Amino acid sequence: MSNFREAQNQAHPNKTNTLMLALIMILILNVSIQVWLLYTALNNALEKNTDIAFPSFIASSILFLIGFGWLYFLPSGPRVTK
Amino acid sequence: MATDKKDNHWKEDFPVYQLESTQVSRRDFAKFLCLVSGGLAVGSGYVAIKANFFPPDKMVGEHFVCKKHELPVGGTRSFVINGSTIPYILIRMENDEFRAYEQKCTHLSCAVFYKPGSGKIECPCHNGLFDAFTGEVLAGPPPRPLPRLTVVIKGEEVYVKDFKPDNDKPDPNRQSRS
Ligand code: FES
Repeated sequence: MSNFREAQNQAHPNKTNTLMLALIMILILNVSIQVWLLYTALNNALEKNTDIAFPSFIASSILFLIGFGWLYFLPSGPRVTK
Repeated sequence: MATDKKDNHWKEDFPVYQLESTQVSRRDFAKFLCLVSGGLAVGSGYVAIKANFFPPDKMVGEHFVCKKHELPVGGTRSFVINGSTIPYILIRMENDEFRAYEQKCTHLSCAVFYKPGSGKIECPCHNGLFDAFTGEVLAGPPPRPLPRLTVVIKGEEVYVKDFKPDNDKPDPNRQSRS
């Protein structure tokens, strides 16, 4: 029986390249949103509006978990039979 | 075969098959992005915890700065408060009012100074401008107003204490000036 990983490893390199690009794009997007969240939370906290800090922490953690789970789909490259 | 007799140690320096090698750097990059993402999440957590559970200490009581006559009109005097390292400036405005602010620009912590006669506090680093009456940002990159202290004048002596916004809410001088 073949699983997702094996099927992906047999895919054509063009396909895995596209996947890799999509993955990296999403990760970059996540990181930019997180940068923005941190910047906003910090500026507000320094201005003594602390309410925004916790929601932004939660949002940031969710984005991290998404990105982390996302790594499962990272193509591991064609297996070379030894 | 002849090739088997060759010294194959070079292979240890190239542990990745050529076919896979095009993806190695991008895989590492994706993992690195994930690491950065984790770091940002942790940073947000730190900000949240610090802001909610460990707020910065309020200044307690009044602190003597100097005598009134020691500061000419339009002059500035920098001071620190005992037990803290934050630099402050005391300004004697042209209309003989006193203002005290933290001297660290809210952008990147450069030292700000009062431009005599203009009613503005300037940051030389990236030309940030603050209103010397309220500490509000007038121009430039600073994201927040300058932290302010309340100035208390007792006869000839000038004291500062923690700033309470409602202390001088009407701010009549501000009105008359504009
Ligand atoms: S540090 Fe003051 S404007 Fe950048």
